[in-house]
Amino acid sequence: MATITAQLILNSDITDYGLSIDKTMTMSKAGATTGLNRTTGVQRVYLTDTKHIDLVKGGLANTSLADMTLSASAKIYIKYLEDDASKYVIVGFGNEADNVTATVNNGDATFFELGRLYGNEWMIIPWSGASNVGDITVQPSNATSADKAIVEYIVFFED
Amino acid sequence: MATTTAAITLTSTDLLTDALSLSATNTLYKAGTTVGLDQTTGMARAYLTATTVVDIFPQLIEGSIAFENKSSWVYICNKSEDETEYITVKICENEIGRLYAGDYLWMPWSMRESVNANNHHGDVTVAPSVATGMWLEWTCINEGTEYPTENLVTA
Repeated sequence: MATITAQLILNSDITDYGLSIDKTMTMSKAGATTGLNRTTGVQRVYLTDTKHIDLVKGGLANTSLADMTLSASAKIYIKYLEDDASKYVIVGFGNEADNVTATVNNGDATFFELGRLYGNEWMIIPWSGASNVGDITVQPSNATSADKAIVEYIVFFED
Repeated sequence: MATTTAAITLTSTDLLTDALSLSATNTLYKAGTTVGLDQTTGMARAYLTATTVVDIFPQLIEGSIAFENKSSWVYICNKSEDETEYITVKICENEIGRLYAGDYLWMPWSMRESVNANNHHGDVTVAPSVATGMWLEWTCINEGTEYPTENLVTA
């Protein structure tokens, strides 16, 4: 049984009373105290245009996610590696059916935008990965062959 | 200008042959700028006693002009200590994933309405798996807050 921890520390002077978070989660299998036992490892994706792409597809055959148990307890960490704070990647759920627009494979046939990661921002979320929920897609605001957008991610999941 | 920093450290000494250690830190800025985010809902702490789907940020008007292309960050934590209990987190009525006991998420939130004509708002919602009571915490740090106008109609 593996032990994987993720510690979030947030500090802010956004109010006169401050706002702080110091929370560590230990990633466990669904409904259990047994640790998640699989990972994609840290992946780095280089994007050369501004099209939507599928970053990850839950349980996709012949990939590192092939053995993923869907609708369980997976976690995904995503970071946009960019020093320019004006650039961003849109993170959403859907799929890239025509390699141009984000279309959909979730239940109500609706691509939805989760949020935007601006330069050097990161996120960590649980991920169902189920086919009726959709793949996780990314679309950079700026990307060319000469100036690629770089996205890193790692998925922890159970088999 | 407020300064808010978020840092994460991911570690495991036994998932792989070699130890895994990954750290990242960033300052939360208004969209496309280096000006810090300056608004927050504050940290909410709630005890939910039904499996009903709850809109956790009703005070923020999703999909409004005020939020167009703005930056917002959401933290949600399941404070339960029973490993079998979870909350299902959705956005636009579509499931992102489940937070089991002690799990949290930290994510950007565009507050975009769905692009289909199904009238789904960009609400972030949670639904507990049990009705026996679960403690949750959540907050949103953002810019451009727009509050609902007064509505005194009761029927």
